[in-house]
Amino acid sequence: MALLEVRDLEVGVAIGGKVLPVVQGISFDVEENQTLGIVGESGCGKSLTSLAIMGLLEGSMLRLTGGSISFNGQDLLALSPRARRAIMGDQMAMIFQEPMTSLNPVYRIGDQIIESLRQHRSMSQRQARARAIELLDLVRIPDPERRVDSYPHQLSGGQRQRVMIAMALACGPKLLIADEPTTALDVTVQKEVLDLMLDLQKRTGTAIILISHDLGVISETCDKVVVMYRGKIVESAKTATLFSNMSHPYTQGLLASIPVVDHDVEWLNAIPGRVPLIDEVLPGCAFHPRCSFAQASCATSPPSADYVSDDHLVRCHFPNDRPSGGEAGGDA
Amino acid sequence: MSAITSFLAIFRGRRLATFGLIWLLIVVVAAVAAPLLAPFDPLDFDPMVRLSEPGWPYIFGTDHFGRDSLSRALFGARMAVLIGLGSVLVALSTGGLIGMLSAYSTRLGHVLMRLVDVLMAFPALLLALVLMALLERSVLNTIIVIGVVYATTTARILFGLTLKLKNEVFVDAATCSGAGHASILFRHILPNLISPLLVQASFIFAFSQLQAAALDFLGLGLPPEVPSWGNMLSEERIYITRAPWLLIFPGALIILSVFSMNLIGDAMRDSLDPRFKDDIAGV
Amino acid sequence: MTQATSKRALLDVRDLKTYFTIGKTGLFQAKSQLKAVDGVSFEVREGEVLSLVGESGCGKSTVGRTLTQLERATGGRADFDGQDILAMSPRAFRPLRRQIQMIFQDPFASLNPRRSIEQTLAEPLFIHKLARNWAEARSKIVETLEQVGMDPKVMQRYPHEFSGGQRQRIGIARVMILKPRLVIADEAVSALDVSIQAQVLNLLKKLQQDNGLSMLFISHDLGVVRHISDRVAVMYKGRIVEMGDKSQIFENPQHDYTRRLLASIPRIAQKAA
Repeated sequence: MALLEVRDLEVGVAIGGKVLPVVQGISFDVEENQTLGIVGESGCGKSLTSLAIMGLLEGSMLRLTGGSISFNGQDLLALSPRARRAIMGDQMAMIFQEPMTSLNPVYRIGDQIIESLRQHRSMSQRQARARAIELLDLVRIPDPERRVDSYPHQLSGGQRQRVMIAMALACGPKLLIADEPTTALDVTVQKEVLDLMLDLQKRTGTAIILISHDLGVISETCDKVVVMYRGKIVESAKTATLFSNMSHPYTQGLLASIPVVDHDVEWLNAIPGRVPLIDEVLPGCAFHPRCSFAQASCATSPPSADYVSDDHLVRCHFPNDRPSGGEAGGDA
Repeated sequence: MSAITSFLAIFRGRRLATFGLIWLLIVVVAAVAAPLLAPFDPLDFDPMVRLSEPGWPYIFGTDHFGRDSLSRALFGARMAVLIGLGSVLVALSTGGLIGMLSAYSTRLGHVLMRLVDVLMAFPALLLALVLMALLERSVLNTIIVIGVVYATTTARILFGLTLKLKNEVFVDAATCSGAGHASILFRHILPNLISPLLVQASFIFAFSQLQAAALDFLGLGLPPEVPSWGNMLSEERIYITRAPWLLIFPGALIILSVFSMNLIGDAMRDSLDPRFKDDIAGV
Repeated sequence: MTQATSKRALLDVRDLKTYFTIGKTGLFQAKSQLKAVDGVSFEVREGEVLSLVGESGCGKSTVGRTLTQLERATGGRADFDGQDILAMSPRAFRPLRRQIQMIFQDPFASLNPRRSIEQTLAEPLFIHKLARNWAEARSKIVETLEQVGMDPKVMQRYPHEFSGGQRQRIGIARVMILKPRLVIADEAVSALDVSIQAQVLNLLKKLQQDNGLSMLFISHDLGVVRHISDRVAVMYKGRIVEMGDKSQIFENPQHDYTRRLLASIPRIAQKAA
């Protein structure tokens, strides 16, 4: 049994009396000590999936409309809100994209770590403070004894994100969800933060879900990858399998779109068109208007997700009937 | 047409604001059609019927000169709308211009906004009283004075908004296109200020009613012969025990109008709030 | 690409300095100066793309904003076609704006929400007297919208009706409609999704090549920079630490910072199937 089992997750958004599906049929497992990457462009539903797992959808126009989430053997959706809150921040923690807005500017960073510690553990103020300093040292904040009394604005962007990681790790969570944790950071800082996360994982065995739009980040950090397009998983596999044998035209197009630093390309193989709008009805494959391999049937019948090999899932009518590999993509 | 429908959409589901809008419409209709609706001439007095109780034919009763209160109230609506619209016009044009220019040019702002700060240090009514004392009582002067008093707050608000807008990227983009100062101020910044200006207008309209009534009551507003709600209160105040209806009716009209405009303003401000404007694009 | 080196400089920037006075951060702290750009020299030659690359806060955007007079230079000179544009009054500089155009990063913020696409695109035409009436303006707008891959029928619409990629195309149309000689692109594709970024990047490259544009391309993304530039200048803390032909910077970087930057980029490990 995996640590986290997500099955047929569905999220809808309520607009004008109707509920439009924005996340559909998402299923995946995350094991201990494993990093799962969820990759996709804005609006593909990757962040909503993580919010649904954390139970953070309530109170907005969004709602969970189906599926099950089992964490550590217990059905999260069957728990009372109170019991769920007890798990959140303790056994499950989350890191957000913008470290400046996710830290409260009027409290010292130490106090914010101490608060989350004392919420879940019976600790004295002194014990909690000692642990906070320990955590800051763990995430390699220089001079943690002094920094524990700093305010968020006195830290750099990279340091703030490290503090967020320290807060997330405070209670030794089994699962850490990181939603674009390095997108707001410079590349040199990004590398440090990602290395730190992986290093901590090695020591603690925490499972990580890393959400990113950056295939490079995913490739370097994840064991398994889920590629999402318009609310559905279009391809998923072990990282090595996926990057050596991309089978969905969208994944291939995404890879071909990236200008790489290591060699020159005259023209990028851009995917034509744009992501469909939320209220556009596409009876067939959601990617078919942008797919250069699309056949007539792609417009009418939705493809099912099938295994093309062990662990390699592809949602496409013709996963094998066209040239595969990195070269294929849409027309420029 | 779409501007009207989107304006009306503000009132969907807001009962109090809808009530305010309806009351405003009634006042406007009364103001426009006062000569047709009024059963008597508001200035004609008949000593035989002075201080008669509400009934027939004097529905609101008569005052101590024997003038028909209902007719005076109807013509008073005219004054209310005139003063409201006039002071809104004065306040928004002068205050708006001062605020926008001050934010756009820092040097000008240092001078103009300090002047505004000085004026804002006086309570609104006191400022209006001082200004009116310097001028003679007339409809136009009342409008100008109330307009100037509220121009200060308008300038403050527009100063802040313009300061934010002038740092928007689209203003930089217009500058890079070669747009001059006037074009940036009036074609690029001003259209983005229309909604907050409308909200401000409804509040100024509301407060102008109170101000005008207060000035009339203190004998510094409209000339005494002009039928206005404030003058009706002022002239009949000594009859409060003998003929209380003479004060209840105009008083209620003032309160209802101020209240209504405030409700409309609140509704408009709420619909401006970015939290309600967020569309689905961000999901 | 190498023939660009023989061409003359269209823009010659010498020892550019832009300092900002930052207000007091604490009650008892004195005002201090931020040296955003501290002595930068480079040239953009006719028909070439020079990239300014660096991390946030290195001053690369300030260089672009100073060259378009959105910020005031503290020192140095910038000769465009032989005239020092930093010494010009805003009024004297205005006619030159037609030739020096800027593409902005955020496609959501750079279009005035209250103006239709037609109004936005017609404005620069009327300002620079490139159209005498609406009929002339419209025909130029149609031509330019087609050039950036947009359906000219969208003219009457407002910015909120478009996606980020479409808005950036409109932003590019606003620049191209003036037929500029130098385009300063400030993180022009950074806010876009990867698949859309590739489309816009291809478009920019094609427009640059077809029209022989000179371009100052400001970006933090080394992959994007490699794709579009002829030459690259690496900025760090307000200064250029390394400058050279693209191949030299990417294949044989000399400065430590350039090497660190290149080493930090996450690579996609693609093994042969």
